[in-house]
Amino acid sequence: MSKRLPRLTHLQFLVLGLLQKGEQPGRTIRDTLAAHGVNRTAPAFYQLMARLERDGLVAGWYEQITVKDQTVTERRYRARPQGERLWTEARDFYTAIASRGVQARWSDA
Amino acid sequence: MPSTRLGRALSSLLPRALRRDLFEPAVHDLEAEQLRQGRGPVSFGILVLFLECWRLAPVEVLSMFRNDLRHAFRLLFRDPAFTVTAVLTLALGVGANVAVFAVVNAVLLRPLPYADADHLVILKHRDRGTGITKEFIAVGDFVDLHARQEAFESIAAYDTFRTVVYGPDEATDASACSATPGLIAALRMQPFAGRNIDANDAAPNTPPVVMLGYDFWQKRFGGDPKVVGRSIKIGVTPVMRQVIGIAPPGFRFPAGAVTDVIFSKSAPVAPAGGRKNGWVFAAARLKPGVALASANVQLSALAQQMEKEHPSENQGSEYFAVTLRDAWIGDTRPALLLLLGAVGLVLLIACANVANLLVARSLGRRQEMSVRVALGAGRRQIAMQLLAESTALASVAGVAAVACAYWATPALVSLVPTSVNLAAAGDIRLDRTVLMFAAGITLLTTVTFSLFSGLGLRRDNTAGRLVSPGRVSTGVAVRRATSALVIVEIALAIVLLSGAGLVLQSFSNLLSTDPGFTSDRVLTLAFAVPPDRYRDGGARLALHQRVYEAVGALPGVEHVGAAAVTPLTGNNWTVPFDRADKPTPAGQRPPDVGWQSASGGYFRAMRIPLLDGRYFGSEDGPAAPPVVIISEAVAGRFFKGERAVGHKVRLGSDLAEIVGVVGDIRRAALTDAPRADMYFPMEHAPSTAGGLFIRTAGAPTAIVPELRTALRAIEPAITLRSVRPMDEIVRESVQVTHLALWLLGLFAATALVLAAIGIYGVMSYAVRQRAREIGTRVALGATPSSILWLVLGQGARVALAGTAIGLLTALAAGRLLSGLLFSTAPGDPVVLSAAAGVLLATALVACYVPARRATRVDPVSTLSAR
Repeated sequence: MSKRLPRLTHLQFLVLGLLQKGEQPGRTIRDTLAAHGVNRTAPAFYQLMARLERDGLVAGWYEQITVKDQTVTERRYRARPQGERLWTEARDFYTAIASRGVQARWSDA
Repeated sequence: MPSTRLGRALSSLLPRALRRDLFEPAVHDLEAEQLRQGRGPVSFGILVLFLECWRLAPVEVLSMFRNDLRHAFRLLFRDPAFTVTAVLTLALGVGANVAVFAVVNAVLLRPLPYADADHLVILKHRDRGTGITKEFIAVGDFVDLHARQEAFESIAAYDTFRTVVYGPDEATDASACSATPGLIAALRMQPFAGRNIDANDAAPNTPPVVMLGYDFWQKRFGGDPKVVGRSIKIGVTPVMRQVIGIAPPGFRFPAGAVTDVIFSKSAPVAPAGGRKNGWVFAAARLKPGVALASANVQLSALAQQMEKEHPSENQGSEYFAVTLRDAWIGDTRPALLLLLGAVGLVLLIACANVANLLVARSLGRRQEMSVRVALGAGRRQIAMQLLAESTALASVAGVAAVACAYWATPALVSLVPTSVNLAAAGDIRLDRTVLMFAAGITLLTTVTFSLFSGLGLRRDNTAGRLVSPGRVSTGVAVRRATSALVIVEIALAIVLLSGAGLVLQSFSNLLSTDPGFTSDRVLTLAFAVPPDRYRDGGARLALHQRVYEAVGALPGVEHVGAAAVTPLTGNNWTVPFDRADKPTPAGQRPPDVGWQSASGGYFRAMRIPLLDGRYFGSEDGPAAPPVVIISEAVAGRFFKGERAVGHKVRLGSDLAEIVGVVGDIRRAALTDAPRADMYFPMEHAPSTAGGLFIRTAGAPTAIVPELRTALRAIEPAITLRSVRPMDEIVRESVQVTHLALWLLGLFAATALVLAAIGIYGVMSYAVRQRAREIGTRVALGATPSSILWLVLGQGARVALAGTAIGLLTALAAGRLLSGLLFSTAPGDPVVLSAAAGVLLATALVACYVPARRATRVDPVSTLSAR
């Protein structure tokens, strides 16, 4: 486990976490976050994604999809290896801290 | 790209990054969602997204700029040669400016340490006849001005002098300010402890009181608060005075002097012997709403009124007020502003040099930028990146500059001679204003450099084509811009060089000026004895005689004398000159001449030549009839074609015989015209304080220990101050010019080196750019010398253009220096030619190295290179 505080914000951690299971459209990621109470306007969400792209943590591209017989464009994302690594480090960091907290509580008791 | 027309139209109104990263993916999501829900057009939703993008724009721009900045710092580290050169050049330029600005800020800009200081003024007196301005005014005139004026809230008389504070163990020398209570009121001083001096303290028959300066209280009494209320013995003639208060920390009046003790002074009364019988300094506070100009109109009207009422005493007497700051800054203001201007030129040269470096660097990065453009970077992004690079460079240079200034400011202050009235010398520091100034000029350089960074990229980036590094050629615009920068550098360097040259010439003229006396091997000192022990003239004369005999008997002493005024210390005391046989017509005031009280030994010690008659001697004692000696200029003016010796002059109700004529001396300063002076015999009215002038056979300071012993043997209570050779006083009198010479010389040398680096850089780059052309010439039969001359010719054209512009600018700017110049014309052709010669020679040397390199160009390799 890394002893340093993860270099990810909680929002970046959530997004990278959602991308761990594979590529997803931006709209889906945004909807999932909203379902858990993390509401962002579409431009603010894509601003977050653009920064993740600039930092080399995710890759983004456009794809044509068909909705009710009409072709529309959507932006899709997948985590880059660097993003996956950082997310794993952050998860391990938080897990380790949390488990130590639990141990401490048991020993206090 | 949004599918609707509105979406596309709004998209085109957004900056590229916002459009690409924020707006378009959000619009696509919106369009898909509307389709899924089977709704119609989505105009309102798109408009909301558009506005949201603008709301997020500042954060996005800052975020991108932060990335650019990070990249820029990485670039700086990757190119250490460029970074070190540019940062050092800028740090020196900006640092020197910040250091000089710190002085300007403390002296000219920072508020004075008094409440509402803009309303405080000093009254001055100008004599129309002699043109001399004095800081002190006649007591009779002060009394009338005080009674009649309506422009001032309070008007006060004050005086400053040295005194002695006695303690249980030892006596301490202290600087005193004696002031009428009006001064304390005008300054609105709040005491640190105790109370202020008030009107009751100045009333007759009240016990004498004193306020102590904060530092003096700390140093002499260890900050003991119980001192307030205690009585202490103070004064050359010791008097017990009760300490009534402690002045606030940092209080000083006048600004340049430390104020150790403050006495109350009773309000001046009209002197019995005549209006001009006694002088005081005067300060005042303007009434609220009264401007300085209107106060001066009133003072002028009052002066005219007094002139009409007392023509025999006030004819030609003018009074005016100047703000406290102007009075104290005096002639320091133009010198400081000149210095700031000169150091500003150094910064401009440094900036031109760095701009040249940036242009050269940007040309080398054209391929990199073309790749960026090909990959989709827009103009704005490229500009942002260049701005980030300039910001990174300027911020590193800014920090280095502040570090330079931190070191240079105390060094600069230590160079300023103590004789210069630098009112706030103790407060010169890098405060918030100075740091803001540093940030301001750093910002200015950042913006300028961004423009120059883009110069070499503009065309290729627009086209967006990839340029082969082997085939980079310099555009005409870029070549012209870099040459123009070097021309500007050379022109500015010429201005600084000629400025330094003019001051050097002036300094040389000053040093070769004959002051009318010989300062070499003369020791001077100020002495004082307790007046209560030498109350009558006879006792004082006896003391003087004993001093002359004892000092004269010391080994190595040739002559010794005493005088009230030490030459070249700015003194301009005057006295009316009135021939007894040709008196000034009734109702007119006799013209003024310089006043000096001196013993016969003074003329011998200073080697002021006797032209006629005799020097003063023991026969001119207190009981003898009054006599005077006049200087050559007085004789020439008032006794044209006659022998002055034997004539009598009127001194109030007495007549004094002229017994000698001596040579003129430059009394107040070397820059003064030789002064018409009248000397009064120290033997006739020997004082208990004055200056001793001792001519020695060897080094004057060698006799100091024996001198002290000899004088203390005569009078144990004698105090001796300012023991120093006359040569030192002469040097100090030209120190402002010397300082200006030193600093201008330093700036000029820096400018010369920077200009040489600039022209070297440009010519080196030109040779690299023209390598193929030179290779072709060599292949076609050009000889090395013709190539050498080709390159030298190109450099010489740039140097000549810069020199021509510089000379014209120097001619115009020379007038700004005229206040500092002595016997030197601002457009002195010799100086200007020498400056041009030095710069052209330096430029040619700087061109020679790249020119030699050009002669070694191998045509085979350059022509075959891609």
